[in-house]
Parts: sequence; C-alpha cells; structure tokens
Amino acid sequence: MVRAVPPWVRGAAALFVTIVMIFILGPIVVVAGVSFTAGDYIAFPPQGLSLKWYRTVLDSNVYVQSALNSLQLAAVVTASATVVGTGMAIALHRGRIPGTGILSALMLSPLVLPTIVFALGLLMFWSSQVGRTSFVSLWVGHTVIAVPYVIRTTLAVLSTSDRFLEEAARTMGAGRWKTLIHVVLPQCLPGIAAGAFFAFNISFDEAIVSLFLRSPEIMTLPIQIYTQLEFSPDPSIAAVSTLMIGLTVVMLLAIDRLLGVQKVAG
Amino acid sequence: MKANQTILALLTSLLASVSSAVAQETLVVNSWGGAYEKLHKQLVFEPFEKANNVKIKVVTVYSADTLAQLRAQKGAPQYDVVHFSGGQEVVAAREGLISPIKPQELPNAADLYPFATEGMARGEGPVHLVTAIGLLYNEKKVPNAPKAWKDLWKSEYGDHLVLTDLSNSYGLLGFLMMNKVWGGSLDNTKPGLEKVGELLNRSVIISSSPEVQQNFAQNDAWIAAFSQDYAHVIRQSGQPVKFLLAEEGAPAVFFTANLVAGRPNQALAKKLIDFELSPEVQAAFAREMRYSPTNRKTKLDDNVASEVVFGDAVKSLVRFDPAQVDSSRATLIENWKKLIAR
Amino acid sequence: MNKYHDDWIIAAPGILLLCFAFLVPVAGIMVLGIKNPDGSLTISYIERFLTDAYYLGVAWRTIKLSCIITLVCAIAGFPFAYVMARASPNLRVWLMILITLPLMTSVVVRTFGWMVLLGRGGLLPEALYLMGFVRRNYSLMHTEAAIIIGMIQILFPFMVLSIVGVILRLDPRIEEASRVMGCSFLASVKRVVLPLSIPGIVAGSLLVFTLSVSYFITPSLLGGARLPVLAGSIYETATKSQDWAFAAAQSLILFIGVLILLIPYISLTRKSHG
Repeated sequence: MVRAVPPWVRGAAALFVTIVMIFILGPIVVVAGVSFTAGDYIAFPPQGLSLKWYRTVLDSNVYVQSALNSLQLAAVVTASATVVGTGMAIALHRGRIPGTGILSALMLSPLVLPTIVFALGLLMFWSSQVGRTSFVSLWVGHTVIAVPYVIRTTLAVLSTSDRFLEEAARTMGAGRWKTLIHVVLPQCLPGIAAGAFFAFNISFDEAIVSLFLRSPEIMTLPIQIYTQLEFSPDPSIAAVSTLMIGLTVVMLLAIDRLLGVQKVAG
Repeated sequence: MKANQTILALLTSLLASVSSAVAQETLVVNSWGGAYEKLHKQLVFEPFEKANNVKIKVVTVYSADTLAQLRAQKGAPQYDVVHFSGGQEVVAAREGLISPIKPQELPNAADLYPFATEGMARGEGPVHLVTAIGLLYNEKKVPNAPKAWKDLWKSEYGDHLVLTDLSNSYGLLGFLMMNKVWGGSLDNTKPGLEKVGELLNRSVIISSSPEVQQNFAQNDAWIAAFSQDYAHVIRQSGQPVKFLLAEEGAPAVFFTANLVAGRPNQALAKKLIDFELSPEVQAAFAREMRYSPTNRKTKLDDNVASEVVFGDAVKSLVRFDPAQVDSSRATLIENWKKLIAR
Repeated sequence: MNKYHDDWIIAAPGILLLCFAFLVPVAGIMVLGIKNPDGSLTISYIERFLTDAYYLGVAWRTIKLSCIITLVCAIAGFPFAYVMARASPNLRVWLMILITLPLMTSVVVRTFGWMVLLGRGGLLPEALYLMGFVRRNYSLMHTEAAIIIGMIQILFPFMVLSIVGVILRLDPRIEEASRVMGCSFLASVKRVVLPLSIPGIVAGSLLVFTLSVSYFITPSLLGGARLPVLAGSIYETATKSQDWAFAAAQSLILFIGVLILLIPYISLTRKSHG
C-alpha cells in the first residue's frame, strides 16, 4: 500500500464512490420498496406496508421450482463456460495458433449479435440436426453466450502476467501440462473468477435464449417473471427480484466467510 | 461436485426425453401466462385431462414468439395445439406450420358465428374467443369521459395519452380503427398516419401490455387505446380504470386455436380444440375475464352479458380481414416507425 | 503446428463450441438476409437498409449511444476500480457485490425503478425543474438520456471488474517507486497505474461496447418505440413482423460492422501489450 495519499483525494474518492452507489442502487431501492406494498399493483411509493407478496412468492410452486431450475442451469453453465473459456483464453494469449487475431474477435461475436438471432439460429439448427430441445440445448446455448466473458476477463489478467515465468518453468524441466496447471492457471485466477461470476449472472438472468431453447418441461425464473407480466403484472415480481438480491448478497457473504472471496475476487 | 451435477443434468434430460416418448398420450400447448393461463388451465386443460386421461403440458409463450418457435422448430415440432392472438395463424397456415381442420371434424364448429370458422378454409384454426379494442380511461382524472375514437384528439386530455406501438397487434388494430374513423381503409392508411401524427407530441407510445398498467399507475396517464381483457386485469388490480367501446365501433381481436402440423396426436389435439369451442367453456371465460364467446349457443348471466360484447352485438364488432391485414402489416409498421421516430 | 499441440487441445472445446453452437447455426439464419425466397443470391435486403434514411438513423443512434455508454463507463470505471483495488479486502467484496446487484434484478422490474425516478414527477426531473432546467411535468423517460442511464447502470460492473483484476495484479512496489522518485499521488496514478491498466480498460470497453450494441430489452423499454436501436429493430422484425430475411440482413450489417470496428482494435492492443 502506498503511503501518504492526500486527505482530499481520500475525501473525493469516498464522495465519488457514494455517488456511483446511489446511481447504481437507486432503482433497486425503488423495486425493494414496491415489493413491500399492501396494494395490488406496482406503484411507488407503496400503498401501505405488508409482506403479502413475499408470502405469495414463497407459497407459489412455480417461482420456487423455476428458481431452482435457473440455479441448476447457471451452475452447470458456469462450470462449462469457465473450463472452455479459460483454455481458449490461454491459447489466445500465447498466440501461437494461426489466425489468433481473427479468432479472438470471433470469440467475442456471441456478444455482438442480439440474442434473438442466436436463439432462432440455434433452435433451427438443433431442430433439424439433433431433434427436440432439452436441458442440454439450453445448456449449450447459455454456455455460448457466457464463454466470451470468461475469455475477456482472463485475457485481461493474462496480458499483465509475466511471460518469463512460464518459460522459466519450462526451462527448469516442468512439462507443458505441469506448467499450465502450476504456473499459468494460478496467474489467471482473478480473471477466471470474475469471468465465472459473470457467467453465472448472465445465465441466471437470461430470458430470450431460454425462451426458445428450453423444452416444455423446463421453466426458468426469468421466463417465469417475463410471462407473468402480461396478464398479472402484480408486485410479486418486485418481491422475487428483491428476494434474488437478498439471496445473492447472503450467498456471496457466505462464500466469503467459508472460502474468502477476497482471494478469488483478487 | 460440478462433474456430478453435470452428469446428473445430462441423465435427467435423457430420462425426460425417454419418458416423454413412452407416455404417448401427451399434448403440448401454449398459453399466455398470469391470470389468463391460470384460467385456461382451470377451465380447459384440467377438465380435459380428466375426461380423456391425457397429460397436457402448458408452455407459456406469447403469440409472436410462438410463431417464431414453430418456424424454427419445423424439423422437430414440439407443440400440438397453439393459440394465437395477433393474426399469426395466417402466416402459420401459409407456411404449412399448422394443419387445416375441416369444420365437420369439430362438432362445436357448426354452432360458431360464421366469422369464427371463416379462416378454416385458409387452413387456420377456429376463433374461440374475442376481445374488443376500445378506450381505457382513468375515471378519477379525466374531465369528461370519452365517448368516441375522435375524442382522443380533444385537447382536454392534454399530454396524458397512451398509444400502442403497431408492432403490438392490439396497437395495430387500434390504429386501423383510428384510420377508419378519419376516412382511411386497409389500402389507404394515410389519413390515420397523418391524424395520429398530430397526437405524437402529447402521448406516450408503449409496446407491451404491462406498460399500459404502469403508465396508469405511475406516469399520470388518463386515457389509452387498448383491449377489453386487459382493462379488466387493470381494474381487478384496483386502479380506477374503465373500459369504453367507442361509438364508431370496436375492432375485434380474434384468439384462435390451431393444430400444429407434423405431430402424432392430431386426433386428440382436435378434440381439445373442439372443447375450447364449447358453450360452457366460453361462458366461463366471459364470466371470469370478460371475453366474448364465438359459440352462439353460449348463455351468459345478465351482469356478465352487459359487460362483454355478446349475442348479435358480436357481429357489430369491426372486423379487419386478417389475411389483408397480414399482407399490409410489414409496410404499415415500417411507415409507422418512420412516422414516430425522432 | 504440431509443436503447439497443447495449445490446440486447450483451445479445441472453445473452437468447437464457437463453430457448431454459434457460427454454423447463426450462419443458417444469416444467409436468409442475402437470399431470395427461391434460393438465388441477392443484396436487396442489405440495399434496403443502406439506402433508407430511417434505418441509417437507427444504426447511427446505436453507434452513438454505445460509444457514449462505453466512454462514461471507462471514465468512471477506472477510478472506481482503482479505489476498489486499493480498498481493504472487506470493503472490496462489498463494493463488488453492490455494483453487480442490478444484474440480479429482472429487466422489467428494474426499468420500473427507473420509471419512478425518471418519469413524470420523478426524482431527477423534479430536481432539474427546481434548478430551472426543464418545464414542470418534464419526463426523462423515453429519451436517449434514459437509455444511456439505464445501460450504464447494468454495464458498469463489466468495466469495473475487468479493470480491477488487472490493477490487483500490478506490483504495488512500482507505484511506491514512482512516489519515491518524486511523483505526486495523482501523477503516479496517471503515469504508472493508468498505462498499466490499459489491458483491463480495453477488455472492459470491448465487453461494454459489444453488449450495448446488442442489448435490446432495456433500450426499448427506457427509450420507447420512438427511439429505436438496431438490436431492438432486429428483434421486432424477427418476432413481430416475422420478416426473418430482413432481420437477418440487419444482423449481418450489425455483425460485420462491429467486427470491422473490433478487429483493428483487438490487433492494435495485442501488438502493444501482447
């Protein structure tokens, strides 16, 4: 830590962070406020206070079941996207595969296209080549859109890493795979962690790809919320969002206590 | 741990596909979520499951997305019966995504009003419910309740208007009606575009149903052109919003039930469609959500009948020919987009 | 090539996934944009887009807004990431959790939150009114400003997290050395930390730019139908108008346009920092 940061800089930094936080959290505070309404429609300020919309959500099988489906999906997507993305990022960083420049641009391309085009394309392809959609098609679709995040965040960290470390390890007689596991991977860790975090969030929040690639049996939370809106736009949706926020915070804090997120998040 | 989850997920999906192949008597249908879907299940799917010993899987997907799915799934269709509310059956029939049904295959079809079976000749499914497009207004805010479409142009409503984008089929029909009252027709949408252009600076243009409700609740909206069923939804949620059938007439939105092509259970699917046409089911839809029946044998209580377009009055609903609407849709939407773009 | 077989092995899953789960399926739909219904090649859909002032306007708005969003995220993201990196580990975890919360709320509900703050009588328009900038009953909803505000709120964490990872890996001794050599605090941040964080800023900008080009639900809800962006136009053309050919043509233009922008950018940054 650098000593002697001027006090006014500290003050300015604190002010800056506070303003950013107000900006980021403002709408969320509104949503949380709506969820405690005693009224029957979404409005702010809430008309009276009550927990009835939380009861509605927790009593409702569809919300709980779809949340579980989404969690399960996000978990497997995070796992697959992390593995695929990290490998790709390391290879791109080494730059020894021909066409690395084009390949790294193409690897970003799933983010460029609006998800509707990808969703329709994959559904067409899947229906004609594989058959009916299932959990697997959903998994594949989500992995495709999650991988670029892992690649980007890992590449960013790798580009500041010390190349000579890898060479040194090789010179000292470590095999390619040993070097990869004991030298390169630990270097990437902060990037992989950030990428995994994004991958989880992206999958958990994704509605369009899910809408097209799920099978009739699978309902995810974002689709459940989306489809609830047309005919029953009631505050239960605000309650679900607030619950999700609460759960995220609790989950991250729990991981922090158990494993120390600081290490993972850098 | 992660590997275990992965394998588990793979296995469950495999099992799911195997078990669905074994259980022959299953129908997959779409519905539209929320209160509508709840009612749909309670009035149609659950009784049908019991009576016919089948399993019905309901997928919540809106009409436009359903058509996109049908098209993309052409190689391996997954629905048996699809419901549309935005005229999508015209496209679906033209592209062979749905199978034609002969009226004599549906016992209830003989009792339907002629307009409800007209599309069957083009290969579309029958119309099972109708809702009207009219004016929604906040009875506590408006100085005078509106009576006619042309009232939207009165300055007393200030900038508290809500119009619906034409990419939404309710918005499209509402616009066609405004076009009509100002002297336009399906071939000539110029009068409508010109007149609605005058309203742009004092209205909010929305494209999805929840926005109607949010604008009434939060953005000080007084008056909106939208549908009767949704007006009922908003009113049920406790807002002082009333629905009005404008005096120049109300365009009708048709809900159709269609038979998907290339599926094994078509006989059963037809039976389900026929069940949706029965007077009892339609009466219940009118009672619970104010949909107009298309079966002329439907009987309604007086208090319900007074709140829906019912009986011979159904014939007075303004009908824009769905096939013609479909053929002019793309151009009209494009012209509209250009008109409203800033 | 054989020499680098381990590179091929670790890249293989990514390449296979990209080819068979993305490029091939997407190509299947994109070709509709350059084919007549009878299968012969045509550029009529592309031409329709490129010769129509309306669609060019939509494309221009998309690029303009994406650039502004990226720029603001980068300008605010770097100092934020620096503060985060130099904060205590506990504070850092909290900051990280807080800035990513918007990602956990459903887009429609989040938009409602903005509607309350930006709509008629909302907090921001009222403040502007009191300061004398706007008339009474002014609404910020359905303006380009609303799109920018709403998009920055969700894309900000992508920028910050990309930069934090890089700053955290910087050796603090480099910074100390510059201070010892007589740099003021701000100068050492500017001359030492900022240049070394460029890879993170680049990565974050790439993410934020591409995402703001392709997001369509947030812009269409906050901007409304009168301020269409390209991704929203594609979505509507594909699902509402059911005109897949024109939707494909628009996607093709978007895709190629962004790639043309990105490839030089990526290769440039690769050369200077690779």
